[in-house]
Amino acid sequence: MSAAIELRGVSKQFTKYVDTPMLLTSMLRFRPGTRRDRIWAVQDLDLDVAPGESFGVIGRNGSGKSTLMTLMAGITAPSRGSVRVRGRVAPLIAVGVGFHRELTGRENVYVNGSILGLSRRQIDRRLESIVDFAEVGSFIDTPVKFYSSGMFVRLGFAVAIHAEPEVLIVDEVLAVGDMAFQVKCYDRMKELRSSGATVVMVSHALGAVRRMCERVLLLDRGRPVAVGTAEEAIAAYHDVLSASREITVGESGLRHEPDVVKIGAVEVLAADERGCWWRTGHVEAGTQVRLRVEGTAVTDLDDLVVALTVLGADGSVVYADSTAGHPFGAVGAGECFTALGSFCCRLPTGTYEVAVRVDRADLRTTLAFAAPVSFFVTGRNTVAGLADLETAFAREESGGTAVVHDPSSTAGVASGSLYLS
Amino acid sequence: MGRLRPLRTLMTALTSELGERGASPPPLSVDLHGSATGPGGLARAVWAHRELLGILARKEFHVRYRRATFGVLWAVALPVLQSLVLAVVFSKVAHIRHASHYPVFVLSGMAAWLYFAMALAGGSTSIVDGSDLSSRVYFPRILLPLVQVATNLYGLLVTVGVLVALSPVLGVGLGSGLVYLVPGVVVLVLVTAGFVLVASALHVYFRDIRYVVSAALMMWMYVTPVIYPPADTHGPLRAAILANPLTGVVELFHASTVGATVSLAAAVSVSLAWAAVLLVAGVSLHSRFDRVFADLL
Ligand SMILES: Nc1ncnc2c1ncn2[C@@H]1O[C@H](COP(=O)(O)OP(=O)(O)O)[C@@H](O)[C@H]1O
Repeated sequence: MSAAIELRGVSKQFTKYVDTPMLLTSMLRFRPGTRRDRIWAVQDLDLDVAPGESFGVIGRNGSGKSTLMTLMAGITAPSRGSVRVRGRVAPLIAVGVGFHRELTGRENVYVNGSILGLSRRQIDRRLESIVDFAEVGSFIDTPVKFYSSGMFVRLGFAVAIHAEPEVLIVDEVLAVGDMAFQVKCYDRMKELRSSGATVVMVSHALGAVRRMCERVLLLDRGRPVAVGTAEEAIAAYHDVLSASREITVGESGLRHEPDVVKIGAVEVLAADERGCWWRTGHVEAGTQVRLRVEGTAVTDLDDLVVALTVLGADGSVVYADSTAGHPFGAVGAGECFTALGSFCCRLPTGTYEVAVRVDRADLRTTLAFAAPVSFFVTGRNTVAGLADLETAFAREESGGTAVVHDPSSTAGVASGSLYLS
Repeated sequence: MGRLRPLRTLMTALTSELGERGASPPPLSVDLHGSATGPGGLARAVWAHRELLGILARKEFHVRYRRATFGVLWAVALPVLQSLVLAVVFSKVAHIRHASHYPVFVLSGMAAWLYFAMALAGGSTSIVDGSDLSSRVYFPRILLPLVQVATNLYGLLVTVGVLVALSPVLGVGLGSGLVYLVPGVVVLVLVTAGFVLVASALHVYFRDIRYVVSAALMMWMYVTPVIYPPADTHGPLRAAILANPLTGVVELFHASTVGATVSLAAAVSVSLAWAAVLLVAGVSLHSRFDRVFADLL
């Protein structure tokens, strides 16, 4: 059977205008012409996605993921090459597209549905099931400005899913909305897939990509870097991140002063059942983690500052701290030093990286930075956001309180997910 | 149990969909080679989305008229009020000489002019204004300006209704001349569509088209025979009026009530020539850039 999505030699160039083109000024020639930059957002991409496959696209910000998605959805045309998609495409970026606050839910369903390619008759027939699915009930004849945001999103999603797409394109949009809604979305996507639809997912949420996608493409600077299983692509993604972070973590705002300190190994350590510390890539949420940094001083140093930054999968800073203000101690020329950082891993499940930097004690220059080391936090799947505050839930009763769930009392017991690397 | 209900509804939807689709393989819904769409591709896309035009026009209409209190009343009152003010100002203050029935002359000309002005103002910015839609889903962008051409027909219908109702009151008996309204509306829509298609495409790139259009509309009205009959003019002003694509349209509207004052055949030919050139230009702009408009939004 022929591919559901077929890209051949696809490149997409964007023109960025430094100032908005104006008819009058360009006619009157106030300026020698509009200044512009040209950017290749996607370059030389060949891709086949089979019908029924679930395909993921990952990459750093600006790597061309959204552009690829708009190309697949036909929203924009390639500058070179060809894009073919078989069957009806429903971009989930289009959830609630064209919804107008003054119109009723029913009227909006017709507008949104026909934008997604349904005929009036098809919408007539599906209306009941859309209303059911969105759980908006009698609100369907109320202007959507009176909807809660949850109802609004549910109705939008219900229409998109009832467009019965052969190709469903999903993006970060699913990262918004409450947990229950996200779970519902993923359930529906699985159902659609089992009925033969192709799903393309563009996401920073590596966990979701890992769960949902059979094959994953890694883009970097618009070029395909790797295509393979989720694990392979994510591993390659970490290589890309490490290679680039050497520059970005150095952006501590400080000037880099090379050849004073060299950082050797950076290791993430976790304890096993017997209390032995091992190097690991997997950490149980809520347990103690040790960071071990080895370095060598090239010249004599009276003191230095060790800084660490924990980054989320999308490169956002989750936590940063350093020894600034507290003496680390002198290191002589040619001497090795080892810094240990212990912290409690209060993080939601996901992939993280820790980057280490050594600054001069006067915080005027950065002496060295190490490529980030990644680790995976397991065990707190229900937690979302940046930090895990380990909320202890209880129920207040007349005779006192009954604990519903207290994560800090269960954490600390290392699990079998620990492995040596 | 509650969790199963959405599943069931989804399954019914799926099975009914299979019934609709039959055994034929899914069509190619995206088939792009390079960035230009071409007139044929655009025509196919418009055909495939033909229902969307009606639905978007209805939406626009509902949003504009139905929800606003006195919405329909405004649609009637505004053009009548505007025409009456002009009629009073120019007949009493500026002493414009017109053989007879100056208010009906103004009202019939304004009916055409207001449609043109409203559709052009809304249509020229329509693709940018609709960026919420067009940056997230594909449909031929040409639908957005066409929606403006279509929805404003409702306002035109209302003003023409007022015109027909009010003319006898103002002393103009209407007769067989009314048939001029048919070619009048047709040529009006063609000329308007031509301008709207060109302006909407240009506005995606040149963001000052919005201001250019509103400034142009302000001056344009004075070289269109809506306030004074063209017979009174000479020199460059007369040349401008004769070259004006709207003269033919407005004169067809005049012909339906108080009678035309210039050679209809010549003026209408000028209008049609403009319409043809602009429509060709507009359609080729849209077919060239249809799939790259979204890049600039
Ligand atoms: N409409 C546009 N006009 C100009 N440049 C764009 C446009 N869309 C994206 N880009 C540029 O193309 C590159 C890729 O962007 P994008 O596809 O959004 O990446 P990602 O989704 O991976 O973050 C970026 O450098 C971005 O600035």
